[in-house]
Amino acid sequence: MKHKYRNVVLLLAVLMLNIIFTQYMVHQYFFEHYKNSLIAAIINVGLFPIAFIIYKNDKKGVSTNE
Amino acid sequence: MSDKNNKIPFNEDNYTHNINRNNERKLDRRGFMKTLVGAAGVFAISSLPWGTLAAKELTGLSDKKYPKQKITDVKSIAVGDAVDFAFPGEHDSAILIRLSENKYVAYQNACTHLRCPVFWNKNEEEMICPCHHGKFNVQTGEPIAGPPRRPLPEIQVKIENGAIYAVRVKRYEA
Ligand code: FES
Repeated sequence: MKHKYRNVVLLLAVLMLNIIFTQYMVHQYFFEHYKNSLIAAIINVGLFPIAFIIYKNDKKGVSTNE
Repeated sequence: MSDKNNKIPFNEDNYTHNINRNNERKLDRRGFMKTLVGAAGVFAISSLPWGTLAAKELTGLSDKKYPKQKITDVKSIAVGDAVDFAFPGEHDSAILIRLSENKYVAYQNACTHLRCPVFWNKNEEEMICPCHHGKFNVQTGEPIAGPPRRPLPEIQVKIENGAIYAVRVKRYEA
């Protein structure tokens, strides 16, 4: 039960990071710190594959469990 | 399971024999996770334009270099006077003010409240917006009274051979 929701929590964490970096990206853009903005955008894009991998791994884990 | 179905009467619990509630909660969780991954995808895709714009800005592709533009001759503007001009586009109205013998300031004079043209009040040494009495500091372009909250964009000027040129619009610094 406990580790069943571990991946959900991980995904929520990823989403939280998404929110943080999106906000950071937009603000840095308007402050004209384009480098920071670009870095945040890259992180944001990179978070998607991470989220997808978490989801994929979760599928395998559950099917072997029950 | 199947042999039970052929017996009459059914057992009470047979009424739900074809409803399989196993894994229902697990599916919910999976669906939720799918939504989360989708949301991460939306975030990723929506970051792309910002990233591209930032990259463009960094490589200097959109660093607009306007050709310098002559505003007026030094002779024709007295200390304490102002002239209107347009920079960088023909609809971007701007104002040049001669503060002292050698000090000129220029701003795009669309009020940062609702874009009324700001004018120079010589007696009070302030820039005033007639629409809602917004006032701006003439040295910095900062708003000092009224509804505007952002400074006027400053225009860099250059003096060459007795003429005043607008060179570029200073970047907005927050
Ligand atoms: S438009 Fe200038 S104060 Fe409202």
